[in-house]
Amino acid sequence: MSEIWVLVDTTADGKVRNVTYEVLTAAVKLKEKNSATVAAVFVGESAGAIEGDLGKYGADKVYKVEDSALKDFNPSAYASALSEAIKKHNPDIILGGNTLQNQDFLPRVSALTSGGLVLDAVDVDISSSSTLSIKRYRYSGKSISGITFHDVKPMIATIRPNTFKAVESAGAGEVIQETAQIPSQENIKVLETKLVPKDRPELTEADKIVSGGRGVASTENFELIFNIADSIGAGAGASRAAVDSGYVPYEMQVGQTGKVVAPNLYIAVGISGSVQHYAGMGSSKVIVAINKDPDAPIFQKCDYGICGDLFEVLPALTEEFKKLS
Amino acid sequence: MKIVVIVRQTPDTEAKIAANSSGNGIDETGLKWILNPFDEFAVEEAVKIKESTGAEVVILGIGPDRALETIRTALAMGGDSAIHIKDENFGATDSYATAKLIASKIKAMGDVDLILAGKKWIDEESGQVAIQVAAELDIPQATIATKVDVDDAAKTVKVQSEIEGGQRIIELNFPALVTAERGLNEPRYASLPGIMKAKKKPLEEVTVDAINLEELGLAQENLGADGSRYKIDNIDIPVINRSLNVLKGGNSDMVESAEVQAAAENLTKLLREEAKII
Repeated sequence: MSEIWVLVDTTADGKVRNVTYEVLTAAVKLKEKNSATVAAVFVGESAGAIEGDLGKYGADKVYKVEDSALKDFNPSAYASALSEAIKKHNPDIILGGNTLQNQDFLPRVSALTSGGLVLDAVDVDISSSSTLSIKRYRYSGKSISGITFHDVKPMIATIRPNTFKAVESAGAGEVIQETAQIPSQENIKVLETKLVPKDRPELTEADKIVSGGRGVASTENFELIFNIADSIGAGAGASRAAVDSGYVPYEMQVGQTGKVVAPNLYIAVGISGSVQHYAGMGSSKVIVAINKDPDAPIFQKCDYGICGDLFEVLPALTEEFKKLS
Repeated sequence: MKIVVIVRQTPDTEAKIAANSSGNGIDETGLKWILNPFDEFAVEEAVKIKESTGAEVVILGIGPDRALETIRTALAMGGDSAIHIKDENFGATDSYATAKLIASKIKAMGDVDLILAGKKWIDEESGQVAIQVAAELDIPQATIATKVDVDDAAKTVKVQSEIEGGQRIIELNFPALVTAERGLNEPRYASLPGIMKAKKKPLEEVTVDAINLEELGLAQENLGADGSRYKIDNIDIPVINRSLNVLKGGNSDMVESAEVQAAAENLTKLLREEAKII
């Protein structure tokens, strides 16, 4: 029986990332159309007992491709380990979250397995002949394309985080242990991995985000953004203008040349709402704008807004948000 | 040392995008083209390495005739010479076939130490081609670099990049491929003398037929839309359809100080009860 694989993404402390459950949910949706088996696939040093959690979200099987050589993420080693498992089991479809790690090593997997790869899907579907089709944005969010795989196996796609809501669905979670023959990796060395403890959710996975723009006007004033973000457990982002002005680091940038995010709630503060910014957050479910310029383009691209001075509005709104919990 | 920078031409970031008449591509009429913004960081980094080590910088562009303009921009920034792989079907050819074409040309050069590219092409919204070039050449890669340190004597490059939840530094032995993230450097503008000089720099043009496709495991029919591993069925221009419920002041567009509290309460209520989002 044909298999749909879902790549397991874990945090540094070994927990399965929510995006994995979202992608499992997408795989279960496909399975209902072609009665395939859904298998979660872990590649890394040691999976731990993750099969229970994966089974809860519909994984019929859990492949564990484990090796001490997979301790630090290295795209060559990971690609080699996954490709070997693919050649052995011949899955039709491989899905993963559009995470930095998957974007880094799946192109190598597609090269090693002669598979087709499409990144950052916002919808997936399957035809009666089990051909995968997806929807994805191109041209900086200015167009959305329907793309169908063509006469190729495996069909590999990554899915934008927050696109599917993770839904539980019973799966057996039967563990299958795989061994990996990893070629020696003398031409690549991980010298240092520094995990920065974050006070707030990662932008690409956050359920809510508050971003500040040029209107915030200084590094110190960004405290206002952090405060309101913390009042609702949101991630904190910024526009390119705020990053270019040096208020906050590049990691916080949302937009065409920054991160692409799709939270349920995106609050844009002091951001005019350029095409480039919208390209990075336009697939958010609800967009709120706070800006003092009534003609700011963001007011033509939002669900709710307050036309007002952010230095007056943010403290008041933060207090209101705090009353909710 | 020898550095190759892979460059790509993309529509200007401000360009309006419309579907073409067949509905599976974009209408190129009147479109302004630029050097892919992330490739600018790659070119700048190569030129910086050249300035400190005396490296030779080869610009490698792939695309139809119009891509030559972009290649010249990269030469004007400081590239020494250029190769233009001409593929009129480019854009329809899938990423892996594109990567094979690029890799075969680099392989033929023989003595390349470092390959630089942008982290993604902003039109395709994908960074897979550069990585597939590394895979095809069987060399290590470090993507989304925010800092690059080359040790010419040791023939290694140290690369800092963002990972989920932090940062890391990896060291690659030459030959290696590195993709550039915004923040890596501040790309210089091509000066007027630079632009004049670029026109005289060596340029090799390779048409896709001239590369031995069979040796690459490719046939002519692997190129273009028919040979692609996926097909673009349609392109839609998303319509922004949002409720535009903007709270304004009583007497002017802006909410005045006395009205702020009411506006904050009102917005909170809408988000809670109507949008059910907080």
